Amino acid sequence: MNAQWMPIFEKLKTWARVNSPWAIHFNSGSCNGCDIEILATLTPRYDLERFGVKLQGSPRHADILICTGPVTRQARERLLRTYEQMPEPRFVVAVGSCAISSGAFQNCYNVIGSIDEVIPVDAYIPGCPPRPEAIIDGLVKLLQHVSSSSKMEIAK
Amino acid sequence: MFSALKPILQILIFPAGLFLVASGIVVEWIDRKLVARLQNRVGPRWFQILADIVKLLAKEEILPSAANPWLFIGLPMIALAGCMTAALYVPLMGLSPAYSFSGDLIVTLYLLSLLTLSKGLAGWNTSSRFSLVGATRGLTQLFAYEAPFLLALLGPAIVAGSWQIDVIMQRNSSSWIILTQPIGFLVALIGLMGKLELPPFDAPEAETEIVAGAMTDYSGRGLAIFNIAKSVEFVIGLTLVAAFYLGGLNNPLEYLLKTFFILVVLIGLQTLLTRLRIDQTVGLWWRYGAILVLIQWMILIIWKESILL
Amino acid sequence: MNTIAALEQAEKLLTPWTKEAVRPESNRLDVTIAGLDLYACAAALKQEPWGYLSAFTGLDLGLEVGELEPLYPFCEGAAITTLRVRLPRQGGSVPTLYPLFPVASFFERELSEMFGIEVTGTPDPSRLFIPDDWPVNVYPLLKDFDPKVVQPRQADSPRSFQPQDGQTFYVPIGPQHPALKEPGHFEFTVDGEVIVGARMRLGYVHRGIEKATESQNWVQNLYLLERVCGICSHTHATAYVLGVERLAGVETPPRAQAIRELIAGLERIHSHLLWLGVSAHEAGFDTLFMYSWRDRETVMDILENLSGNRVNYSANIIGGVKFDIYPEHAKTIRQGLDFLEERIRHYLDIVTTDILFLQRTRGIGRISREEAAHLGLLGPTARASGVVRDVRIEAPYGPYSHYPVSIVTSEAGDLEARFVVRLKELFVTINTIRVIMDNLPESDLSVRVPRRIPAGETISRVEAPRGEVFYFIKSDGTDRPERIKVRTPSLCNWTAVLSKAVGSQLADAPLLIAGMDPCFSCNDRMITVKRLDGK
Repeated sequence: MNAQWMPIFEKLKTWARVNSPWAIHFNSGSCNGCDIEILATLTPRYDLERFGVKLQGSPRHADILICTGPVTRQARERLLRTYEQMPEPRFVVAVGSCAISSGAFQNCYNVIGSIDEVIPVDAYIPGCPPRPEAIIDGLVKLLQHVSSSSKMEIAK
Repeated sequence: MFSALKPILQILIFPAGLFLVASGIVVEWIDRKLVARLQNRVGPRWFQILADIVKLLAKEEILPSAANPWLFIGLPMIALAGCMTAALYVPLMGLSPAYSFSGDLIVTLYLLSLLTLSKGLAGWNTSSRFSLVGATRGLTQLFAYEAPFLLALLGPAIVAGSWQIDVIMQRNSSSWIILTQPIGFLVALIGLMGKLELPPFDAPEAETEIVAGAMTDYSGRGLAIFNIAKSVEFVIGLTLVAAFYLGGLNNPLEYLLKTFFILVVLIGLQTLLTRLRIDQTVGLWWRYGAILVLIQWMILIIWKESILL
Repeated sequence: MNTIAALEQAEKLLTPWTKEAVRPESNRLDVTIAGLDLYACAAALKQEPWGYLSAFTGLDLGLEVGELEPLYPFCEGAAITTLRVRLPRQGGSVPTLYPLFPVASFFERELSEMFGIEVTGTPDPSRLFIPDDWPVNVYPLLKDFDPKVVQPRQADSPRSFQPQDGQTFYVPIGPQHPALKEPGHFEFTVDGEVIVGARMRLGYVHRGIEKATESQNWVQNLYLLERVCGICSHTHATAYVLGVERLAGVETPPRAQAIRELIAGLERIHSHLLWLGVSAHEAGFDTLFMYSWRDRETVMDILENLSGNRVNYSANIIGGVKFDIYPEHAKTIRQGLDFLEERIRHYLDIVTTDILFLQRTRGIGRISREEAAHLGLLGPTARASGVVRDVRIEAPYGPYSHYPVSIVTSEAGDLEARFVVRLKELFVTINTIRVIMDNLPESDLSVRVPRRIPAGETISRVEAPRGEVFYFIKSDGTDRPERIKVRTPSLCNWTAVLSKAVGSQLADAPLLIAGMDPCFSCNDRMITVKRLDGK
């Protein structure tokens, strides 16, 4: 490939990825509080579709994995499999205090820990639960980071 | 030399190729934007669909181990190729079709059904639970909607006395068939929605039941191409219905207005209605759709015999 | 009949097997019986009929006593009769109650996996909530359970279901699935589009909350229990504090009680609207989802105005509530309620007249009244089948005696009825909130409660949007509870889904599941799996 075209292609790819972040949602043991706030972001008042986010059903169609909840033993493997099924480039967002640090469930025997003990996390959105605006803010920050970071230069 | 170049340009740029993809993008954007507005939301930005396609093309393609790689890669291309070829026979942008021969209506409709057939085969090929159910549903729906759609388009063909799209359009350009064959128009619209698997007929892709249907295991390029093929088919379907029922498409302005009108009607129906179960869609349409169209035909034939239209 | 008479009747019924009968609280009767007599006693109660089986609880009486004590509470109105059995710590067993009460199957699995008590004759002895790779013979709710014994998962665990033979085709739904906002695993065996078998496995959200409560103090547990479920968090908190206040012997000030009921009403509104949207989404009616959630924002705003958070509003403290309702709030609340009432009327109209929506809901998943009572259903799912079961009415707790609600039922028992009952309940709720606001008593917001709660046991039953929430709280006089048992309504309602799924279309499955308004995080403090097709 002509070396002159590469940077332009890369820029185009990055632009497309940042503007079309399809997401998939996974609950690995959450109390639902965060999940309903994530669902709320799709509704008219907050409308994530403005940012190009579409909630997908299949991990193979998604770029961002939005995770909630502390990781319970039973959910751990499903979380891993879901993550593995996602094609590159992929990003993980941990939503809620439980996802970040097990939150209120730190002493519970069936909780393994936070999401980043199982899969690499790119963005953390704290709150119990975080407001939809906070979730959108976190996602936007992730996208801004992606568009400016050097990670994209190494992407396939 | 130019005459040798002409078909290539026609395939690559206009009316097929880039122009077609661009119109597909525009139509899909209007669809998503209007649906969002009707749902009281803001909706996607103008470049959204383009970004979606580029992103998908740049994404890693994962080949399921159980799938035949030739089929996996080839089927989306077949789907797209079919739709692109069909574009050569329809009056896109209100201009005469690039190619025209007697009987091209039937050929075009066959080419259009390649999309559903490829999806069905692709679903079977990737052989995951969800794709199989999705593929089965898609093919079932194909049978239910393809026939009424075809019959509905044949109504104007009977009136014009020809099987050639260009000829049909010319002969009907003075009369708006929608007024004389309203049932046929209704059947054609619903048939189009069924073919394209638009809500409420999106059981084959029912996200809440079978994840993503036949497309569950596609990612990256394959998915992008299938999506483009779908929007292209949307454009061609709109063109055909507008050409036949809304008094022909004689110039670009008429084309834009008439296809936009039908698009808006379809979007309205999409937003207002709940998804039907697959047995309901098929049962409903196979019975009522076919009956309606046959009634329309009978009226037509009797009319044609007695009065010259 | 009134509570005292009911308890006397129960006591009389159980006399042949009674070893010891005690009235620990004015509405409770505890009867200690021998394990072998359990079935006979349950049958006698069912025969009468006296009440319904509400939950099971297990108690570990400690290493010195060396015994376990499963409890079987039956509820008739406000009266609760608990059958108590003493078993040795190891090797104890009790007979199954499944033939009498199908819902007992779930409870029995929980009992076995948590305490190691064997239940003879239970139809499905497999694990409910405890994960597949949990070591055998380790029972979390025993006092000598050591979390270090259970190592985190290693490599691939065995699949929870064995793949079936090539003849049958099964469609898994979950744990990660667009239809489920929470993880749970259903496997539907299908023949074409018709479901011929249904199995489910929960436990993905099982965190081990009950055990955790034993190592935290009473105040910390409030915050933990609020998060059993984000949607009905206030209900859980209310059930907990009501029980603890009763043990501590304190009387919550009237204003606090009224505010509790008001917040519970607001929670019900937000929960039912949420459910409406999610069910519509399951059915493929996205427009309704968008509009109902847009309107739901009104009640979220009200809650945020009052409490500072949209979800997990944390209104309760042990002894009262944290915040007050000021006149400015009152105005916003009333305006919001007026708006919502009009919108809910509109949604009721849609749900009962939209032709295509009715095609997906009318006549589908019909459960008759007898079946509903037999299956032990709770909440709006039961009321939609005509069963009069609502804790706020049968056993009014706290403020509900001052501000009563009326019951909403339907005879149809199908999916449409479940929509209608929930929406109509909202009208009742809105009116109740208005009544409360018009009659808010003046008083303190809370009362001091000692750090150590006096020893004792109590049972607290509260009506969540999904049905009855059952709390059993035991204190040993210290600043930490000895045992807290939480039984949530979704656990009992699963039977409804599974029994109706077989024979239905695959496309109806998400709606059937959604129709009972499941809350996996509520019931996953425990695990349940059930097989339906008898194979």
